[in-house]
Amino acid sequence: MEQALLSFSQSTGIFDFMHSPWGWPVIESLHFLGLSLLIGSVGLFDLRLLGLGTGISYNFLHKIIPFGIAGYFLNVITGTMFLSSAPDQYLYNPAFQMKLCFMVIAGINMLLFYRYSFSAIRELNSETTLPARTKTFAGISLCCWCLVIVCGRLITYYRPPYHWCFWC
Amino acid sequence: MKDTILNSLARLEETGLSLLLRESGVAFFTSLTLHSLAMAFVVGINLLLAARLLGLLSQIELHKFRPYLTLHWWFAGLIFFSGAALLLAYPAKALTNPVFYLKLVALSAGLLLLLKLQSSIKDPNLSIRPDRQKLFGATMIACWVTTIFAGRFLAYTNSILLASSFY
Repeated sequence: MEQALLSFSQSTGIFDFMHSPWGWPVIESLHFLGLSLLIGSVGLFDLRLLGLGTGISYNFLHKIIPFGIAGYFLNVITGTMFLSSAPDQYLYNPAFQMKLCFMVIAGINMLLFYRYSFSAIRELNSETTLPARTKTFAGISLCCWCLVIVCGRLITYYRPPYHWCFWC
Repeated sequence: MKDTILNSLARLEETGLSLLLRESGVAFFTSLTLHSLAMAFVVGINLLLAARLLGLLSQIELHKFRPYLTLHWWFAGLIFFSGAALLLAYPAKALTNPVFYLKLVALSAGLLLLLKLQSSIKDPNLSIRPDRQKLFGATMIACWVTTIFAGRFLAYTNSILLASSFY
């Protein structure tokens, strides 16, 4: 896995770019921009579902979600650049593994939200109180994305020595 | 002059609070994480408002964002306090780096632009002229992108980490 990622990075020129003097901070900045778009749109939508910002219809506010999707894809691209350029710093790092877990939980939560709740709330006006199930989806989503940020900070704050990963 | 500044920064680094913030992993990590979380919300809300001014999301009336602006200012306060903690932990690292001042200027400009926009939302007489809205939105984006880039580059461009290492 580690070798495959490194080969990919080296064959595509990502490795050289990331190890140039400004490669890493430029991509980190873009990663944070993507994250801000994601939090600014998905986070606000979640807060709306939790009851903040009454007056904005759910359907209208849902129109900001494409910004979150754009931010998510920007993060997948930049995240892949980090991972493939220094796979040993990520693959064995529990903070990275936890970050991926929370992203998966957020993804599953989103699928369940669209499967079971979204069609119902589309028709509601902005004053209607939402069912507890919808609020639970929103709460889980908001928590997961905040924890993704916390774990993301942990990755860079603790550059992992290998003993950090107690199951490796 | 340089010696006096470094001496003052070194004394600041030796205060109990600075030592606690720097040497307690939990205190530093908490400040760093809260700073990132608050920045993500503040930048995200500002980028959405800027997108609205640029003509996207035109279905949403600007004044409907007001409840989120209250939240925005809470997060801006958190940026200030967590940023102050990070600055106190490594004062020389930031204060001797021009990139820090660039971040400070861009951040302040971004917040001032939002204040102006907020007044425009509250009072229709103060509203931004339609022909200026796109320029206003683009300036907001430029401020926040500069803030993020300067913030990240701060970690890579410092020439001094601790002033006390010179004494």
